[in-house]
Amino acid sequence: MPEPTYDSLPQATVVPPKRARISIIWIVPLLTAVVAIGIAVQRILSEGPTITIVFTAAEGIEAGKTFIKYKDVNIGQVKAIRLTNDYKKVEVTAKIEKHAADLMVEDAKFWVVRPQITLSGVSGLSTLLSGNYIGFEPGLSEESARKFSGLDVAPVISGQPGKEFLLNSGDLASLSIGSPVYYRRFPVGEVTGYDLQPDGKSVQITVFVRAPYDRFVVASTRFWNASGVNVSIGADGVDVRTESLVALLVGGVAFDVPPFQAPGNPAERNTAFTLYRDRAIAMKAPDAIARHYVLHFTESLRGLSVGAPVTLLGLNAGEVTGVGLALTKGEIRPRVEIVLYPERVISYTTKTEVQADRALLADEQRRTLLFKRLVEDQGMRAQLRSGSLITGQLYVSLDYHPGAPKAKIDLTQETPVIPTVPSAIADLEQKLGSVVDKIDRLPLEAIGKDIGKDLATLDHTLVSATKLINNADEQLVPGLKADVEDLHRTLIAVERAMNNANASYLDANAAMQEELRNALTEFSRAARSLRVLMDELERQPSSVIRGKIEPMNGGK
Amino acid sequence: MTAAAAPSAAEAGLVSCRTCHQLTRPVSRASPGYCPRCGAALAWRRHHSIQYTWALVIAAAIFYIPANALPVLTTTALGSTESDTIMGGVIFLYTSGSWPLALIVLVASVMIPLGKLVVLAYLLIQVQRGAVKNKHDSTRMYRLVEFIGRWSMLDVFVDAFVVALVQLQPLMSVEPGAGVIFFMAVVVLTMLAAQTFDPRLLWDTASERQAFGA
Amino acid sequence: METVACPDCDLLQQIPPLPPGGKARCARCGETLAQGRVDPIDLPLALTIAAAIAFIVANTTPLMGLSAVGREASTTISGGALQMWQQGSQITALAVAFCAVIAPGGHLLFLLTVLIAVRRPPAPRWVGEMLRSAHFLEPWSMTEVMMLGILVALFKIAQLATVLPGIGMYAAGAFVFLLGAVLVTFDVHEVWARIEWIDGKVPAPTPDASATGIAR
Repeated sequence: MPEPTYDSLPQATVVPPKRARISIIWIVPLLTAVVAIGIAVQRILSEGPTITIVFTAAEGIEAGKTFIKYKDVNIGQVKAIRLTNDYKKVEVTAKIEKHAADLMVEDAKFWVVRPQITLSGVSGLSTLLSGNYIGFEPGLSEESARKFSGLDVAPVISGQPGKEFLLNSGDLASLSIGSPVYYRRFPVGEVTGYDLQPDGKSVQITVFVRAPYDRFVVASTRFWNASGVNVSIGADGVDVRTESLVALLVGGVAFDVPPFQAPGNPAERNTAFTLYRDRAIAMKAPDAIARHYVLHFTESLRGLSVGAPVTLLGLNAGEVTGVGLALTKGEIRPRVEIVLYPERVISYTTKTEVQADRALLADEQRRTLLFKRLVEDQGMRAQLRSGSLITGQLYVSLDYHPGAPKAKIDLTQETPVIPTVPSAIADLEQKLGSVVDKIDRLPLEAIGKDIGKDLATLDHTLVSATKLINNADEQLVPGLKADVEDLHRTLIAVERAMNNANASYLDANAAMQEELRNALTEFSRAARSLRVLMDELERQPSSVIRGKIEPMNGGK
Repeated sequence: MTAAAAPSAAEAGLVSCRTCHQLTRPVSRASPGYCPRCGAALAWRRHHSIQYTWALVIAAAIFYIPANALPVLTTTALGSTESDTIMGGVIFLYTSGSWPLALIVLVASVMIPLGKLVVLAYLLIQVQRGAVKNKHDSTRMYRLVEFIGRWSMLDVFVDAFVVALVQLQPLMSVEPGAGVIFFMAVVVLTMLAAQTFDPRLLWDTASERQAFGA
Repeated sequence: METVACPDCDLLQQIPPLPPGGKARCARCGETLAQGRVDPIDLPLALTIAAAIAFIVANTTPLMGLSAVGREASTTISGGALQMWQQGSQITALAVAFCAVIAPGGHLLFLLTVLIAVRRPPAPRWVGEMLRSAHFLEPWSMTEVMMLGILVALFKIAQLATVLPGIGMYAAGAFVFLLGAVLVTFDVHEVWARIEWIDGKVPAPTPDASATGIAR
């Protein structure tokens, strides 16, 4: 077979490419383009609206970083911050997420959440770590808006149901925004704002009471300031009242219906009430009947203050309205004015009798007659009593004193004079005085002298005993015995003298007696040990002698 | 004709354009002129190759010290500040359990720049001495240097992104340290040095080298 | 001209030069013996377009998001450079911007222009300039280094915060891949062959031409 020459070989068929054949590679850019467009479209569609908020200051707000949060969910992000044209405020541009776009209505609220420590609590601590954010509160309007004005403080109410009420008060009295409102010690709302009235004479405080507790605020409700601690030191003693620890710190307002009022219908929102200074004043029933009286005392009025209670048989029936001096019959005497509210006493009886009693009191004539009888026939007198030994406060007590001298009362006068009896204090003074006198009369000096003598003898004996021990070479055994007997006798005498002194001393001087007793105990102890020594010496006197006097001729 | 015996373009009096590789007859020996195809300036060998390369290598070597000594990242977390050098970053990655990344950073940021400097210096010395020991290996080394150079920029990018992302005051924030600039300078200078060095010098005979006075 | 034997029918035949995309079939049995190279211009062009789109997406969408303790942060590539600038390292910021955005972008743009222009040869002179610039920018286009850098940075951060990769990250990855493909398929010689020479002449078939003394 001849070698085929390459020129003679056939040629493979050439299939030309189809005209305008698009290489398959073009799928790649096409795919890329499709994906890119898809991404772009998705981003455009998922874009929410852009809003601007004008703040007074934008602390801690950073463009591109700070979020707008509602219920802890990010609903937008700050994109740019700049000053407004008048350089007075800060304009924040933010992009809101699509899903939150509907929240952007006219009265929506924005504020900067930053760490704050206020009286009502610490808030926003998490922002220390996460950076400040803008808080959001949806509004109720239907109009959508894109420009907002940011608040300086976080709004207190957060869309909760409830009612607002206005309280008029003389002063703000340690209340602040956020101070709680209590009903029966249960927090039901808070103070949302306060403002000085245009005439500058009073303060109007806005409180918000949450539903469903707002129905407890009725027309006859009384509000009082429950701030801090109510410490009253009066004749009743020391009274400490506080609503709660929070109220202690940040102030608070409490309300309730006074016991003498019927509840009534819930009050309308924004009804105005008076803010009373404390619970007692708020709950005080108005006293319709008031009678003024005058009292003349003979003792010092120190400790009696205006407003001190007047008690009738121990029950609060009125108060002191004036403390002073009167110039009568050429001499200056203490004079006290009191006012009695007979109605107060009524409230302490049973309900059935209340009606009857009320009727009795309403009739002035019958009332006057009753009182006259109490004073003249039953010996009702006014007396100063010590309300508290600690504070030294006094109060006036109307009580039966059968032993008091008879007196008359003229109730036709405008301010009748109620007869008085001396106070128990004077009694006490007298008693003490007599005790002191008795002590004074005691022959203390004579007793003292006796004791002194006996003690001197004792001392002498001890000295001798010491000498005996030191000088054992002396033939003192019989003498020693005599000395010991002497000592013994002295001690007995001293003891007897002491007992005598004991008998004549007043019981009240127990302390002195005690000390004396202690001294004697010490002495008798010393004497006793000495006696032991003496006894031994008595038994074996030779030990002393033998021990010492050797050169002597061994005799006794 | 075998490869060994064939003349080089310079020997044959032809210049190859650096960018478009068009072989041209130079206008004159002294100034070859411009490439007729792409317009680039023609040169027998890269302009002042040895001088430029030496200058760049030395500058890079000088910058290498502060690049490693100064911190590249300063982390402030809740008030306390910590600075890290490149080696510190490597150690951190290693102790964090990711030794592959630690290795990558170590190689890219410490070994490669150093290697480039050493290799280039070696090549320069070889060329200047006149007798290149192993031309093949040297050329391979050069190619490696040229290729791998860009990877040293790794640490700069790492720093840039860590700084860009960790800006969460006051919890944590990161700042670039002074070392970054020096490190970047080292990378750039070595890359430029690789570009200025003409590998053809490795293959030139002594006479050629003299003729072209690089 | 290449001589082959058909693998199916063993016929000895010669394959003439093929047009791009054309096929050579066995003269006897019709089996496809060889395929002409795809247009050396279209392939890189398609890839370049895709790479360009990926590049745009990578730079406009966030690379990744970081969330720690309720705070969130996210950045794009230019964002990273911007942060560096704001933190005081302006030179480094510029370098990062150059190596990660300007150089790759410019490189890609030039390539794209050249490829489009070269579809209808001969391309004007400035295309040659552009190709030269593209060639110069190439070593400075460091997107893949950046990607690895991001990876390392992510790891450093991952311990203190949760990192969420963004679309930009995937786009950047696609870009790196596509650019690599472009560089592989880009036939420099073919392209240069279609560009007008400086002195106005259409590419000469002779390999050695005379240098001009005229500067561009």
